[in-house]
Amino acid sequence: MADASLVAISEAAQTDPEAAHRARRQPLAGRRYALEIRQHMGWRRQALILAAALLVGLAISAAILVAAGVPADELANEFVMQTFFDGQNFRAVLFQAAPMILVGLAGSLAFRARFWNLGLEGQMIWGAIGATAVSMWQIGPEPLRLPLMFAAAIGCGLLWVLGPAWLKIRLGVNEIISTLMLNYMAANFLLHLVYGSWKDPKDNFPYSPQFRAFERLPELGAGVSSAIVLAAVVALVAWWLVGVSRAGLYLRFVDANPRVAHANGVPVRRTIYGAVLLSGAMAGLAGFAVAAGQEGRLTQAFYQGYGFSGILIAFLARNNPLAATVVALLVAALFVTGRSLQVFYQVPFSMVQLIQAVIVVCVASSDFFIRHRLRRVGGEAAQ
Amino acid sequence: MSGSIALNWLASTPDFAVPYALAALGLIISERAGVLSLGAEGLMLVGALAGIGAQLALGQPAVSLVLAMLAASAVSLLFAVMVIWLRVNQVIAGLALVFFCQGLTALVGSLAEWTNHATEGIGGMALWPLSLLPGVGRLFEQNAMGWLTLPIFLAVAWFLSRTSAGLRLRAVGENPQAADAAGIRVAMWRLAAVLAGSALVGLAGAYISVVSTKLWIAGMTGGRGWIAVGLVIFARWSPWKALVGALLFGCIEALIPQLAAAGVQLPQYFVMMTPYAVTLGVMVWVALARRGGDDEPGALGQPYVREERR
Repeated sequence: MADASLVAISEAAQTDPEAAHRARRQPLAGRRYALEIRQHMGWRRQALILAAALLVGLAISAAILVAAGVPADELANEFVMQTFFDGQNFRAVLFQAAPMILVGLAGSLAFRARFWNLGLEGQMIWGAIGATAVSMWQIGPEPLRLPLMFAAAIGCGLLWVLGPAWLKIRLGVNEIISTLMLNYMAANFLLHLVYGSWKDPKDNFPYSPQFRAFERLPELGAGVSSAIVLAAVVALVAWWLVGVSRAGLYLRFVDANPRVAHANGVPVRRTIYGAVLLSGAMAGLAGFAVAAGQEGRLTQAFYQGYGFSGILIAFLARNNPLAATVVALLVAALFVTGRSLQVFYQVPFSMVQLIQAVIVVCVASSDFFIRHRLRRVGGEAAQ
Repeated sequence: MSGSIALNWLASTPDFAVPYALAALGLIISERAGVLSLGAEGLMLVGALAGIGAQLALGQPAVSLVLAMLAASAVSLLFAVMVIWLRVNQVIAGLALVFFCQGLTALVGSLAEWTNHATEGIGGMALWPLSLLPGVGRLFEQNAMGWLTLPIFLAVAWFLSRTSAGLRLRAVGENPQAADAAGIRVAMWRLAAVLAGSALVGLAGAYISVVSTKLWIAGMTGGRGWIAVGLVIFARWSPWKALVGALLFGCIEALIPQLAAAGVQLPQYFVMMTPYAVTLGVMVWVALARRGGDDEPGALGQPYVREERR
């Protein structure tokens, strides 16, 4: 924006520091503290601040839950005991965790390349559509069906993010808006399918026909779905990719400063493409995990809440794949608890969204105390 | 397409365009001060819910709209504290705000049992004497809020480009270091811009619930807030271009029911994709057309850290 008056202000400040200084507000004589940027903080104090932020977030969440009608003395019981120490509920958490881990990893990988992939839900939808298409059209022999569904989910998720990636890298189109718009389009296409030609002919409900037994992720011992194993394997691969491989090193360069990375011979574009496409592939896998692991068919609203959860998991985990796995487990526990609160206390499921947001707000705000400190200064001007 | 359908189409366009226009205008105020406000979708929901709540309780549309503005401003205070004082990444803070508002509005809406209760909205207001014109007179029968949108645009555009306060606001978004050096209180201006902008975004949401649909459903804004964010980029942060863009989007959305009424069979869910597809198309077009000058506020999305001042 080349507004003459604006330029005048900034030029005045640059060319005439004397005048700028006169105009500057003098610090109050009574001010005793000054804010300054902290260069470094030990990990112990960082962890302490993080824990405090989490506690504040949980306290606020508890207050909201009590206000919404959950008895205060039942809260701890519901969340901790029922969720983690009850065998059946713990299995439910693991069940829920598989797609959560995958979207969390998808978010972390894209954000590491400075690409705000808010299209996780769209890619998830396409992953599930791809897997369902293989089942619907009975592509391939039976023993190969599940691997083919797996591959189709990866391919579809990857293709759905290719457009925004290309638009961002070639034309500089804002990926936040483009990926979000593609979410809404994917959601409408899903509705088109489940209300249209893919509707279950048996009962005419808006979902696809049920997958056959060999098209579903098998159950391991003790009622644990193999989806969680799949998610764990992907998490390990992501950890290797980010932490050990050469591509991960490149990614760290790009994350730190794309221009310097380019000057140092890092293939910046290829690195970004790779990270973003893998992110889409992982989100597609999350769709596969829900369709072939949980629902056993394509349903109309299976993706809801995963997109934002993935972003928040990536943020809370600082884009670290292993941390993302742990955070995703906790978010899955929150989802499971949310469903039981919905059943027992008629608390709407949106409560889960609210609590996630409260915790993110607290953790994001706590960064301030890690990056800054208050320093006592003398009574006179402290500049 | 016969003449009467075309007329119906044009006459119903403003109703679809007003929420986009008001939300984009609100976003322009905040982004001109350098605060990237991705929370619009959430704030629209807050406005929509507060508006319908007030409408169910009091039954006064004007009061409901004002209360909706206040509610959206109040919620955006949380965002403002995060990005202005705590210097949280504005994208993360905006996303968290959307998530927070989606959860909060769905929760409050269902606890207060405001869901799916129809209310009385605002009736039409004929712009005399233009409304007496034969044929096209119908175009000048819009609701009062629709008409009010024009003076709001006039006032904001005038404020931003013609007043010294508007100049200060833009200076804060363009170069906060220089603005601070010139004695402008960066944080206060940014706070004011976020609160005022959010009030307009809330009004846009309340327009949808109180004036257009006249009821509340969780998540009823359906991505309009995000489209408004895209619209601001399309408009290059200029209020008048945003108004044109909003009318364009309104035209497209208004066309859909008209085509259905005319008996044109279109695949329903593909039709529902059009606003998002058009937004995407517009973003690509803007990127292709943008050669040379870039009018994005210089410090958009960057926290101002006084301690780092050199």
